[in-house]
Parts: sequence; structure tokens; C-alpha cells
Amino acid sequence: MSDKRQPQNNAKTGRPTGSGIPIIQINQAREMFQNTVSARIPGNARGRDRETQGSVMSSATTSRSVPNSSASFQHSQSIKMATNMPKTSSNSSQVHNHKHNHTHPHKSNNPNNPNCDHCGTVIVPSPVASIPAKDDPSVTISDWTITTSKRPILSSDEIDDWTEKLKLPIPEMIFGNSKVELINTKTNWSIQFNPFEALSHVKLGDSGLRVSYSEKWINSKLKTSQVTNTEEGLQFGKHWDWSYTTLYNGTVSGNSDYEFVVNNDFELPIEKLTRRDPILFYDDFILFEDELADNGISMLSIKLRVMAERLLLLCRFFLRVDEVLFKVIDTRIYVEFDEDLVVREWKYMEDDYKTVLKKCRMNSNDPKKSLRDSNWVASVLPLKERICEVLTIKEETKKTTE
Amino acid sequence: MELDWCLEQLYEGKLLPAETIRALCFKLKELLVRESNVVHISTPVTVVGDIHGQFHDLLEIFHIGGPLPSTNYVFLGDYVDRGLYSVETITLLIALKLRYPSRIHLIRGNHESRQITQSYGFYTECLNKFGEGSQVWQYFTDLFDYLILACIIDDTIFCVHGGLSPNIQTIDQIRIIDRIREIPHDGAMADLVWSDPEDDRNDITSSQFKVSPRGAGYTFGKAIVDKFFSINGVTKMLRAHQLCNEGYQDYFGGKVTTVWSAPNYCYRCGNKASILELYTPTDFYFNVFDEAPENKLLTDPMLNDKTLHSFFEEEYDTGNGQYDVFSDEHQAKHALKRQVDYFL
Repeated sequence: MSDKRQPQNNAKTGRPTGSGIPIIQINQAREMFQNTVSARIPGNARGRDRETQGSVMSSATTSRSVPNSSASFQHSQSIKMATNMPKTSSNSSQVHNHKHNHTHPHKSNNPNNPNCDHCGTVIVPSPVASIPAKDDPSVTISDWTITTSKRPILSSDEIDDWTEKLKLPIPEMIFGNSKVELINTKTNWSIQFNPFEALSHVKLGDSGLRVSYSEKWINSKLKTSQVTNTEEGLQFGKHWDWSYTTLYNGTVSGNSDYEFVVNNDFELPIEKLTRRDPILFYDDFILFEDELADNGISMLSIKLRVMAERLLLLCRFFLRVDEVLFKVIDTRIYVEFDEDLVVREWKYMEDDYKTVLKKCRMNSNDPKKSLRDSNWVASVLPLKERICEVLTIKEETKKTTE
Repeated sequence: MELDWCLEQLYEGKLLPAETIRALCFKLKELLVRESNVVHISTPVTVVGDIHGQFHDLLEIFHIGGPLPSTNYVFLGDYVDRGLYSVETITLLIALKLRYPSRIHLIRGNHESRQITQSYGFYTECLNKFGEGSQVWQYFTDLFDYLILACIIDDTIFCVHGGLSPNIQTIDQIRIIDRIREIPHDGAMADLVWSDPEDDRNDITSSQFKVSPRGAGYTFGKAIVDKFFSINGVTKMLRAHQLCNEGYQDYFGGKVTTVWSAPNYCYRCGNKASILELYTPTDFYFNVFDEAPENKLLTDPMLNDKTLHSFFEEEYDTGNGQYDVFSDEHQAKHALKRQVDYFL
């Protein structure tokens, strides 16, 4: 406790010499302490994992004979690096295989995830809080490598840069460097979902959409300013679609021999997807979110689950403008690994606020609870448009290969 | 009433009984009704931005900024919603204000309102923690109507939650607002808690407030700030209201500064937070900090129950074998329920 007060005293009396560094050091020390504590708890798989990695690393440092006794912080940093270091050394994977005596159909590419005890184990990417927060869980199954990147919100410099490029104010919470990518390593075809591309689909200019009390608000301003014409009396700031509605359905790159061909008769195989196959890799995270100055919510989020034979990715745009409307725009990517089948289904759903409110159960004390649940909202919104596409090899390419 | 006992409980993160909360809110209303809309204070003082129910980070602020009453504090509003501990956060601040009325000042934010708290979590949290029939949310929101609107430090630094309003040229115009009411949709009071600075480099001379493309609410530019400063003898404006990754952000060459005090906002933004320590009007220091380690317990699903129990040991022991659904440990477990999901 007493050392905790130290930085503050420094700042007050000795002036901010270290400019806030003590806090970071405290957090580092805490992190180290916590690692040690969790490593000691029996049955804590991750703890054990960390401990072994830590000891491997410390032995490595000693063998490299750089044991500089300058500070324990150096030591803590090396441990932190070790936990973030990819455990791809052939040595460790051999040990793993030896233990279970069989090979796995998938390979976790990230050491932060708990190791697979047997094939059925769920690999949940764990959020790792480090400075700066970084996490790139990844998995490889047959020809496919699936990687998610989760990063903190953009810094103000990055936001300035994006504002310049996109020509619109960036959403309040912008996880600009977060993304998900599916790559077929054999064909080099890939699809990615990232917030920059998503925001580049947001319309510039007047969206026509206004918050519920806008008319009242503008009228009251006009009355006081004695002007009848809106454009003259009140100067609007820059127009853009402030609801951040985006029709984004992913960024395709790599091998251009393949293209999505519309096949609206295709339906996603619900029976295969509802089956409780073990999930080998799961993630869900947000690309951007804005509370529309507390007039509702606009959010673009990713959900991903990878099973042994197939994967499903859902990129959902969810919009609620209080007392005005709801929109849900879903893009689903479905991959069947063995058949090399890649399907993209895009759905647009919309309804006005009142209709949706009527559908939610009014018996509870908190009826608006379900209006915050995008799954519930999506289940009651009418479908306005649906496009289903199947990835196909281009005709010309077929001919040339023949 | 045993205020010190309340504070002791609150610092440990324990909830007070609904009746006690009612009494605290009532007492504080009596005190606040005598305060002006604009309170004048002097340095040294520490300015704190949005907290949003991140109780452990509030405790962290008292650790790094210094405890009350030896440090003076101005809070810029938005104490509730979003975080998991809005009730604990606002109750602690209420008790501190009652105990040290001249040492801590609580400005009203746009979330200190009946309408907003119903949509953004505080209402639901009150029902979850005190039961469906509880009046606790009413006690709190009735109190919110009494919170002050602005602070002025050393006659030169203007502190408010959101920003300026076209209806306000002089600070006296803030003083005459009838503030003891729900935050209205428009007018000076709404603008003070809602409006945002707009750093438009292409249009720095605009002396007009701009309407947001949403069709309600204002943004204000540099010329407006300059005019307000020269009329009122103000040299700096401190506000909160907008998330920033670095914990603070300057506008118009530092004339307006956003202070943000909720690190890793919503337990997932990964942003830093800061408090602004003012020693004199010109000598200040942004104390930047990261989230409290307790939050990591909330967000790290790999820490099993045993770890949580040992971490919140006191909490666990005082239960007398009775399972405490309000305990941090239970709340944390509840928050961890985000598991793999067979979504379609």
C-alpha cells in the first residue's frame, strides 16, 4: 500500500518526473503476481501452462547468459513475452502428440489458448490483458486457417487518419485493428471482415434519418430564432449516415480464379449447424459500436465457430434508433471443409420501432430488455432482402486448366 | 446516521440496505438544494471524468489520486450505466459528498437521468440488486435532479459534463436555470450535458452552433469557445462525455480538454483513463492509469472459482455460509457466463 502512494507523492511534490510510469510498473508487478498465483493453483491448466513456459524462458535467458541483475522487471517482462511467444517449436508439439498418441485434425496456432487435452476440447480464445492488449487466436483445419485479431480502440491519431480517409466522424467505440480472416491455404483465396472496409460502405450525405424528438427540437429552435426556413435558421453540421448502416458483406482477396455466384435457392444446412458437434474454435467480438448520442445503438459484431467439418461466421450489423426503427443486416459465411463449399448469405431486415415494441413481452418490469438483444430483434424483424452466393471457380479458369 | 460506517461498507464494495440509500439520498438533496447551479472552487483539485459504474476503477482513482478528504475532487458526471457496479459507485460518491461536502463536487452528466438509465443498465442493475419491487432506482434518480451543472476553478477554468449551448453566453445564464428537474430534450440544460466540441480545421471561424445530423443536439467550434472565454474571463474548459483511447484529449490547442476516467471502458475497449490533477490554474498533470486488476477477474474466463474466492475472501467469509448473490464473486461468475454459443 505504501509504495502505491509513492507515485502520487512524487507527482505532487517532486513534479511529474516519471510522467505516470509508476502506474504501469504497478500494473506490471500485479500482473506478474497474478500469474504466479494462478500458476500455483492445482487444476488450473492455464496456470500450469504459464509456469512451464515461464521456467523455460528463464532457463533460456540464463543459458544465453544475459542474467543482468538490473531489475526484477526485466524478468517479469521476459515472462510476459514468453506467454505471448508462439509455441510452435517442434519439441513441444512432439510432447503433446506423444501424450495423446494420436494426431489432431486441427492445430491451434496460438499459445494463449488452453491446450487441447483431447479432440473434443473447446478452444476458447481467452482475452489476454497486456500492455498493449494484443490477441491473435488462430486455428488451422485441413486447407483453412482462421485467424481473429482483437485490438483496443484506435488512438486519437489513428482516428484522425480514418476520419480523413473515410470523410465521416468515426463511431465512438472503434476497434479499428480488430478483424477476422478465413484463408484457404491451398488456393490462396481469402475473405476478411474488418471495420475500415465496413465503414467505407457508410453513405455520405444526408441519410434522412432523424432521432425521434428531432422535429420537436428543430421547431422549438426555429420559434426562438424567428426564422421559418430550416436551412437558413439552423446550420447543420456535416451530413453523413450517422446510424453507420453498412451493407458490407466482407472483403474478398487473394486468388481471383474464384468468384461468388448468386444462388438464392441455396439454404444453409440447418440440421448440420444445429448439431452439437464439438466447437474447436470460438470467438465473438465487436468491430465498432456507437450509442448514437444515447438514441439507441449501432453495432457491427463478429461471431465465429469452427467445428471439425465446417465453420460458421456471422457478421451482424444491429441498429436501434429509439422510437424510430430497427435494422439487422446479417452476413453469414458457411464453409464445408471436405467439399470445399463456401457459401455467403446476406440478409437485410428492418421494421419500425412501434411494431417491434408490440411484439416484446410486456409482463416483465423491464420490457425494453429484449430490445437490446439482437438475436431476439432479428427473430421478429421481417426479411426485406436475401442474397445467397456460392463460391465457384470461374468459367475461363476452368477452360484454361482443361 | 453512521456515515463513517456506511463509507466503510461502501469502500469494501458492499451494498447498503435500500432504506439507508433512501436516507442518504434524502440528506444529500437537502444539502444540494442549497448549492448553486455553478459552484466556485479553487486549486488544488483533481478533476475526474466518466466512471460509468466501474467501481474498482473508482477505488483505483482514490489510490492514485489520493484519498478524501486530503484531496479535493470534482467529478464531471456519468457515474452510472454500462459498468457492473453503478449502484456501488453512486452510493459511495453520495456518502463521500455527505461526509466531506466541500471536498468533493458532483456535476450532473447526461446519464444522471431517468430516461437514459432505463436504456443503459442502471435501472436493470437496481432491480437485479434490490428486487423487482424496489424503489431504489427512484431514490437515486430523484437525487440526480439536484446535482449541480458546472464548476468554476479559480475563476478561470470552466468544468461541465458536455459543452456549451447557444442559449448560454454568460455563466450567469447557467446560474438562473431551474435545474431541479429531469434533463429536458432541448434548451440550455440539455446542451450543457450533451453537446460536443467539433474540431473542424476547414471551418475554424464559424461562430455558429451546428446541428448534429441526427437532427437534435449541437456541436461547437473554436470561435464559439473563444467568444465564451472572452465574455466570461475563462481560459480553459474541462469536460468529459466522450471516450478517448489515451484517457484525455485536447481540442482547439488545449482550450477544451476531454477527461475520461473509465479505463477499458465496458470491460472491452482497451483504452487508458486519466484524472487531471490541477495544482494551480496553469500547473497541472494528467495522471494516466489502466484498469484495476479486479476487472481482469471479470474478463478473464480462465481464472476459476477458487481464485475468485480467495481474491474476494472477506466477501466470502462474511456470508456466514449463506450464499451472497450480491457479492463481487457472484457478479464476476455471472459475467463469465459468456461462453461458446451454438449461434446460427
